[in-house]
Amino acid sequence: MSRNLVEFARRGDATGAQTALEVLKQAVVDHREVTDEDRRRAAQISGLPEATVYGVSTFYDDLLAPVGRRHVRVCTGTACFAANGGAHADELRAGLGLEFGEVSDDGEVSLSETVCLGFCHSSPAVRSGDLIDAGDGAVARVLDDAATAAAEPAWRSLLPEPVLTKPGDWSGLRRALTELGAEALLTEVEEATVRGRGGAGFPAGTKWRFARNASGAPKYIVVNGDEGDPGSYIDKYLMEQNPVRLLEGVVLAGFAVGATRGFILTRSEYPRSKPVLERAIAQAHNDGWLGTNIQGSGFDFDIEVIEGAGSYVVGEETALLACLQGLRGTVSARPPFPAERGVHGLPTVVNNVETLANIPFIAAHGAAAYRALSPDSETNGSKLVCFNERFNAPTVVEVPFGITMRELCEEVAGGLRGGAGIKALQIGGPLGGILPASKLDTRFDFDDLAAEGCMVGHGSIVAFDERTNMRELAVHLLRFGAHESCGKCFPCRIGLRRAHDMFAAAEPVSRSRFEQLLDALELGSLCAHGSGMPAPLRSLLDHFPAELGLID
Amino acid sequence: MRVTIDGSAVEVEPGTTILEAARQADTWIPTLCFDERLAPFGACRVCMVGVEGNPAPVPACTTPCRDGMNVDTQDPASRRVATAVVELVLSELPEPPAAHTELAQVAARLEVTDQPRWPGATHPVRQELDHPYLAFRHELCISCGRCVRACDEIQGAFALTAVGRGFEANVVAGMDSGFRESTCVSCGACADTCPTDAISERRLIEFGDVYATISGAGA
Repeated sequence: MSRNLVEFARRGDATGAQTALEVLKQAVVDHREVTDEDRRRAAQISGLPEATVYGVSTFYDDLLAPVGRRHVRVCTGTACFAANGGAHADELRAGLGLEFGEVSDDGEVSLSETVCLGFCHSSPAVRSGDLIDAGDGAVARVLDDAATAAAEPAWRSLLPEPVLTKPGDWSGLRRALTELGAEALLTEVEEATVRGRGGAGFPAGTKWRFARNASGAPKYIVVNGDEGDPGSYIDKYLMEQNPVRLLEGVVLAGFAVGATRGFILTRSEYPRSKPVLERAIAQAHNDGWLGTNIQGSGFDFDIEVIEGAGSYVVGEETALLACLQGLRGTVSARPPFPAERGVHGLPTVVNNVETLANIPFIAAHGAAAYRALSPDSETNGSKLVCFNERFNAPTVVEVPFGITMRELCEEVAGGLRGGAGIKALQIGGPLGGILPASKLDTRFDFDDLAAEGCMVGHGSIVAFDERTNMRELAVHLLRFGAHESCGKCFPCRIGLRRAHDMFAAAEPVSRSRFEQLLDALELGSLCAHGSGMPAPLRSLLDHFPAELGLID
Repeated sequence: MRVTIDGSAVEVEPGTTILEAARQADTWIPTLCFDERLAPFGACRVCMVGVEGNPAPVPACTTPCRDGMNVDTQDPASRRVATAVVELVLSELPEPPAAHTELAQVAARLEVTDQPRWPGATHPVRQELDHPYLAFRHELCISCGRCVRACDEIQGAFALTAVGRGFEANVVAGMDSGFRESTCVSCGACADTCPTDAISERRLIEFGDVYATISGAGA
């Protein structure tokens, strides 16, 4: 990340200015497109150079094309693909007479695709204005301009005492402020070994210790609420249904690290997240859990919510920091790590939503109680998983680590609709491997899944039934991968496009050339997007070679 | 501290990157997005090297040396990545890069042939030739970011930006208005660092009537 641009962003923030991205997003709300005048204004307000702002306006999906008075966004995520192979997107295109990125001649309606709306329990999902409709009849209703808000099934917990699904009550923060103190809290979190729940699995306590020891002030806590993994709606539930637990985790992180300010980056694909969190923040201020001198402790902390603008890679932590500062959401090489140089070049902890939602329990009950939550596993704490629409009972469920995938699929989620058989699962997001039905006895845990080329990742479980064609799945995954490449590192920028084109063409794919390309992506890419995309493709090569149309 | 590059020991200051150590030891590591005048960027991934004890190659330009580190610039996995990347980059250009460019030289030295394993779409030809000193051939841009960073870090003019993402990524001047309508001060740092001639300095001979061109430039 350019030090000069970060310094411009810091100065803008110091004067309370909006970021360039905020100004550009508002332009779309106000007059349905970004014009050069908007870009000049964004540059003036934010303090960024005009060319830089232009670059920002060409990066995020939400800013790219003019929209109509009613903007329709069709979800083309993996759960929606598993539901019908993408037929709903074709129906909308045909019904509206628009291609993605087009506006009707009268300016009434526009169409774009989006990945993903987080209604994977009720695919296919379509957003019409700010209403998200999903399931049977959603396409017809959106075509009639009669969309209704889809319901979200209640979440539940398999634990004797729910942890993550239990509403936050600030009891962990109360104990931390009155009994533990910052150092003891940090030690508890280190001893609890909270592996990051956003995909990488890096222990939160270690990150916190780096940031606490880093020189520079103020320090920041950044919450990664950019749950872009198609098929995943776990962080959505946490942010929208249990915001207090998340806020409590953020304040605890701030207290342990010595930070005074937190940011939550939410997704524009989840339009409810930001307002729900902002209401919870206002309530926390009223109740004395945020602001100056929290509960008389002398500790000050505040949180603001910033919404992204449509980019999967912004879920990568350095890209997230760029987005937060209003810059292009491209990945930066580490070192420097955010713990040394994060927001405004200052020490920053970046944690995923669910990771932070684990912290209040540890603060209230200690590391030992936390370790006991998953008795059959070496991994500590519990995990939220979520299921796609193919299952009989798709929702978010809190589970212990160590449970088998078969128990999850057959007992917890009730098997597939209509008694269909599971052909394969994709676990943890688009960078997770594909687990064939023959491996359903694999345990849901970091090491067990890794041994099968899969991962815990975000915890999403997307089932494909026998109707899914695996070559089409390869094209689906690679299309997403190529579209979302931030364009910075060469293997991902060019390689994912080439990989997509190999499978999208009618011809057979040379297995050896494709594997050589996967090798370069895996070993060469700058971030987990490029290095992770090969995992599901390798699974497909291993388990479904006959369906892929391969030659040597 | 002391590191070993291909068997030769080098004494380096803390904070030195593997690439800097290798250059100190006169060992060649291919690079495309690196320019020693600019902060390392880590985008091109052709500078990958093997490090003893590391399961996978690391980028030499952004990886700091550790005391006792043992670096292998000829590590087979690293060579595979570098060759594949250069092949991919050549395959996105509608014409081969000129022989004098850094890209052509790196490709020659890595013995990358003109028979790419993964052929496909190339960048559309788009040329801006309205500036008196600088020519911009977008189709030759490989998004290494050197020009953008030179304009930022050397000149402080901020006239250039990366645009788009994925395969469509490119670079433009100003608000895609060209150099003349941007904050460009014609310093030439972008052309100087460009490894493909996507941005190049125009030579007087291109203009024919030099006096007419100069008088037109101020208009």
